[in-house]
Amino acid sequence: MATRATSPDRAAVFAPIPLRHKLYGFGSIYGKTIRDSRLAFIIAAGLLGGMSLVMGVAVSNIFPTEAARQEVDALFGSIPPSMMNLFGNVELIGSKVGTLGGYVTFKYGVIFALGTALWSVFALSGTLAGEAQRGSLDFVAAAPFGKRRIALEKVSAHLTLLALAMVVLAVMLTFSSNVFGQAALGDSISLLSSAGFALWVFFLALLFGGLALALSPLLGRAGSAGVAALAMAGTWLMTGLGVGGPLLALSPYSWTFDHVPLVGTYDWPPLALVAILGIVFLAIGVELFARRDLGVTAGFSLPATPAVFLGVHGPTARAFGEQLPRALAWGIGLGLIGILYSSLSGVLADQLGSAPSFQGVFEALFPGIDLASVGGWLQLYAELLYIAAGFAAATFVSRWASDETDGRLEVLLATPMARARWVVAGGAAALVATAAMTVLFAAGIGLGSASGGLDFGDAMLGCAALGLYAAAIVGVGFAVGGLWRTSLAAEIAALFVVATYLLDLVAPPLNLDALHELALTAHMGQPMLGQWDPTGVVACLVIAVGGILLGAWGMSRRDVAR
Amino acid sequence: MTSIIQLQKLTKSYGSHRGIIDIDLEVAEGEVFGFLGPNGAGKTTTIRTLLDLIRPTSGKALIFGIESTADPVAIHRRVGYLPGEFALYDRLTGVQHLEYFANLRGGVDKAYQASLIERFDLDPSRKFKEYSKGNKQKVALVIALQHRPELLLLDEPTSGLDPLVQQTFFTVLHESVAAGATIFLSSHILSEVEKTAHRVGIIRDGRLVKLGTIDDLRDLAHHQVELRFAGEVPAAAFEALPGVSEVAVDDHVLRMRVAGAITPVVQAAARYELLDFVSREPSLEETFLAQYGHEAVEVG
Repeated sequence: MATRATSPDRAAVFAPIPLRHKLYGFGSIYGKTIRDSRLAFIIAAGLLGGMSLVMGVAVSNIFPTEAARQEVDALFGSIPPSMMNLFGNVELIGSKVGTLGGYVTFKYGVIFALGTALWSVFALSGTLAGEAQRGSLDFVAAAPFGKRRIALEKVSAHLTLLALAMVVLAVMLTFSSNVFGQAALGDSISLLSSAGFALWVFFLALLFGGLALALSPLLGRAGSAGVAALAMAGTWLMTGLGVGGPLLALSPYSWTFDHVPLVGTYDWPPLALVAILGIVFLAIGVELFARRDLGVTAGFSLPATPAVFLGVHGPTARAFGEQLPRALAWGIGLGLIGILYSSLSGVLADQLGSAPSFQGVFEALFPGIDLASVGGWLQLYAELLYIAAGFAAATFVSRWASDETDGRLEVLLATPMARARWVVAGGAAALVATAAMTVLFAAGIGLGSASGGLDFGDAMLGCAALGLYAAAIVGVGFAVGGLWRTSLAAEIAALFVVATYLLDLVAPPLNLDALHELALTAHMGQPMLGQWDPTGVVACLVIAVGGILLGAWGMSRRDVAR
Repeated sequence: MTSIIQLQKLTKSYGSHRGIIDIDLEVAEGEVFGFLGPNGAGKTTTIRTLLDLIRPTSGKALIFGIESTADPVAIHRRVGYLPGEFALYDRLTGVQHLEYFANLRGGVDKAYQASLIERFDLDPSRKFKEYSKGNKQKVALVIALQHRPELLLLDEPTSGLDPLVQQTFFTVLHESVAAGATIFLSSHILSEVEKTAHRVGIIRDGRLVKLGTIDDLRDLAHHQVELRFAGEVPAAAFEALPGVSEVAVDDHVLRMRVAGAITPVVQAAARYELLDFVSREPSLEETFLAQYGHEAVEVG
């Protein structure tokens, strides 16, 4: 019998999806991506906006007079010539380093750019490749629209949040400078200057994020993020240290070297070049995603963990096997930073020691840290790296939590393993992972110090402070995961890290001593100088061990989630 | 006979969401118990409560005579569990998974483990993330079986398995039962329960609505009879017959549902001029679906 395919008599009529759900929620891929990225956005915009606000308050308080500002101008003289450009175009910043705009550019400009670009790298390497690896992208791709549109919606969502974060940055810079800054000392930052700075940060993030997206169909999530992050850090160091020869021509930091908008110097054409290259990378990424097989990479991948470290002999070894790649990644990253920092510490300390007049300035900037000593500089780096160590710990918590959130815990707990043992084993593994990361960081500090002919004993031991802080964050995460829910354990641990960092950063210049006391990192002493504060050490150990035990107790009492 | 599983008014609620309500059930040693119900009926909630993965809101679950919340580790030592949905370690191979879970149990009989791998036709050298859905299921099955548990809790065990492996799986189950194991098999597929179970329980909306043997379920079967008359339809002559219900007339056609023997209907029909007589016995599957649907059924 012949059959005839026909259209339905009439198409089903559904209520239109509200626009607000298409923009945020489950009304579109764009809306869902925005929704999924809200925590990252809050952290990024909060840090950028918060730092901008704090800078306005802090600079006007620490350097209230013209004389104090002139001392800041002299800061440049203390930096070795070979390193002058690491933190911006010193020549163009010039005497304006004593203004709020110049100071922010010099001290935080590159950090803002690198941090934001790193967010983009992680977001854009993971938005398609990560979802493809998890398998959820198959469902999305089976929806009645093309892969190109899926990629475009996901990329657009990230760019929207990136742009919003930049608006926060620009508005807060202008607001802070005009409300808290001293106009007579040149602190006011116009909206054009703030926008110029935010655009520079935005386009650099666009470029390196776009590179990650373009590589992700070929290298997968980890590979593309690794290469893009390496390119981001490598080109910055090449430009800052003036190394790399002809390769310098490939550095977007070199192209935009003369764009210093916060001191009123603009160079728009190179910025446009960075933007164009970023868009090209994004287009390549979208096209590759549209044309290649879903989730199939080119076969390049990071080396696998050796079987001996995978740990199949018991729950602690198994949990450590899961943590090891993260511990190595964080440890090697921190170790490399440690090599760079510690190798420069001697030079910086000598420069400052030979210019006692600058010491007062630095004491105001970094109260309590003796930057005329090598250990003092290393201590400063340690203070800056507490946040990295804290985030590393949050990722260890996240890995442990995935046993429950991914559904493995069902199978594990059907064996003769008590719930408390699962928590304690996971906690022990996370602490060992923290120790491994700390050892690698200490090795980097030691190696860098040794290469500069410096004594490295105290500094290497001092790295344990970062490990102790990270261990405490592990404790916080395990307590939350065990007592309440593992799906929020890492997020709450990360929020604890951000809150601690901001407290430690904001409270001292504002003389909010009571508030500063709440920051765990305020009680660690100066371990890089061999001066330990037992309060902080004990607190970290108690929080680490107590948190894990509390988590074990809580886990024994609550339902296992699915 | 010793009860391996005893549920006493077992209730689990998730806040405002229904879980399971007042489940009373016993499974004897060496028995294969089929636990049937549609998706979301409460099958998995029941199993997770047995294993103390979730705690009862009220009531009790005793496994091997031990209350599930009192000493879950002692229970787990004697149990093999296959969850309905699970994830394992992406970076471990199949054999590493088996080794790990064997270690967690203090070791297993390697020869038996190897025989299971061979019978399920599992390539244990591949990483878990590279396995197909069916092969992941095989790994989980070997994990559940390799320590020769006294009680097997299996939630949708044949999901993703091809027919040949399913056949092997049922053979292994029969061997386990022959060796003294007790099996609690949760499924929404009647045919797989029918092949193995001695008794079944049907759960619907969190409540146990039927408990009995497979034959009891078959007794629920009925005939759908359709008679086409040459003349007017004598509906009244059939309505009063024993076992007849749901009588409906459509032009010259009479339809009815006949429970039990069909003889009275045949004898009554013989008194009229018939153009057609169609009698259809619903499959057990359809009977089972009827239990899922609207019919109120008794427990016990």
